[in-house]
Amino acid sequence: MTAVSPIRKAPGSPSPILRHLNKLRWFVLSFVFALLVLLPCLHLYQTFVAAHAYDLLAPSEQRFYDVMEAITEPFVSDPEHDLDMVKGTTWSGQFWGLKLTDPLAVIGQSAAGLTIFWPFVMTAAIPVVLTVIFGRFFCGWICPATFLYELNSNLGALLRWAGVRIGARPLDRRIKYLVLAIGLLASAATGSILVAAIYPPAIVGREIYYVIAQGGIGAGAVFFVVTLLFDLLVSRRGFCRFLCPGGALYALLGRWRAVRIQRIVETCNDCMKCNAVCEFGLDPARDGFGQECNNCTACIAVCPTDALDFNIRLIDLAEQGPGHLGRVYRKAHTSEGPDPEGPNPENREAAE
Amino acid sequence: MAAMPSEARAASNNPSMRFLRPPGALPEDEFTTRCIHCGQCGEACPNRCINYFGLENGVSSIDTPFIIPRQKACILCMKCGDACPTGAIQPIKREMEPVIKGVKMGRAVVDEHLCLSYQGKTCGVCYRACPLPDVAIKVQHLEQPVVLENCVGCGLCERSCIQMPQAIRILPIEDRPVL
Repeated sequence: MTAVSPIRKAPGSPSPILRHLNKLRWFVLSFVFALLVLLPCLHLYQTFVAAHAYDLLAPSEQRFYDVMEAITEPFVSDPEHDLDMVKGTTWSGQFWGLKLTDPLAVIGQSAAGLTIFWPFVMTAAIPVVLTVIFGRFFCGWICPATFLYELNSNLGALLRWAGVRIGARPLDRRIKYLVLAIGLLASAATGSILVAAIYPPAIVGREIYYVIAQGGIGAGAVFFVVTLLFDLLVSRRGFCRFLCPGGALYALLGRWRAVRIQRIVETCNDCMKCNAVCEFGLDPARDGFGQECNNCTACIAVCPTDALDFNIRLIDLAEQGPGHLGRVYRKAHTSEGPDPEGPNPENREAAE
Repeated sequence: MAAMPSEARAASNNPSMRFLRPPGALPEDEFTTRCIHCGQCGEACPNRCINYFGLENGVSSIDTPFIIPRQKACILCMKCGDACPTGAIQPIKREMEPVIKGVKMGRAVVDEHLCLSYQGKTCGVCYRACPLPDVAIKVQHLEQPVVLENCVGCGLCERSCIQMPQAIRILPIEDRPVL
């Protein structure tokens, strides 16, 4: 310890608030999922209100009615109409008249119809702009399937701890671009948006609605359970990483995203916790983010030396070598003295 | 549609596969290409009459909305058209003229062999259930129903028919494949 040169404070030391973004992300994911459960319940409540038949409801339905009334009473005066303000799922929804649609829905519909219907296309404008700036942020921050997939990979970690073998086969990340292309071609061939049937967030939103308001599940629920098993048996978060057509689209849109996570090599100690925690199997410890990173900030939260930070850049940093607080770097620099050709802050960005 | 006697058409339809699209829906081919399976029409429907296909009607109509009028019929509230983001269900104003012009879900057909009013009893339930009485359906003497040209096919008459099986049915107007 004594031989080590004093820790240099990195030029742009990250704000301590970044460490808590992962909690905020979990809050957002839970909030979106809870909303997807709440909205069908509210719809059911609306139909009960519209029917004016409280006395004719079954006791369980009356309890449901009372609960929903208690939840909504502070916010609406006329539940039958006021609750129409927020409707839909992450696949397509509306908030107070603002219609928002998943970019994959727009591309899939345009492929199915082989035409462009501009009023619909414009509903995806805000998500597309956000994706160009933040990359695959939808995958990490909003997607209701991610909520379940991350719980599923936590279950996988638990199983691994209990001694069960969990699949960890790396597939090729480019498979999902093939899935996207084939899905769009199949949509064009059949004239129906088939990508919606294999896109987990659309499935989750739809199936929650079916279960609550229609009383049953569709074929999508079976497909989704298969993807959960795929994640457990083949590869952690395998569907998102290797197969999801929406993920492929956002990765392409966010290829030159402006907001990126970067490693500060001066404070990195090569503990590799970021690589272990990364749900997408990326390589933050060696600056391997790429277009797959969804800015989920799990690596920032886990980093013990605060060596990961957000930055505004259009491309990632080139690989910066071992962290300066790590054993490899210190061994090289304490026994032989500072290496003039070794990594240092001056040529950190020069290798682009 | 006029070529075949109404009795024959009603009998040839498998009731479980005779379905309607929501009010204001585009013709069938265009509808399946426009629909993005988001489910907002069903979530807007205050009557919960809109159901969703699984795989039973083919891959191209998976998760698309349909209405079986005998189970639950459309009350022509026109909320689904406002909710639809793609225009697969066109937004139509909830007034007499636009509804008659824009909504083409189907057309009611009376089976006189089953209808009680044509069989010596007076009923008239279908006429009283109709949201467009004397515009879409009228009754003659003994409450015998006659469907008029302006019927939009909402299905409330079929829903309310007291005869079993129902004596009045909605036949989809579009030439859609009947499976």
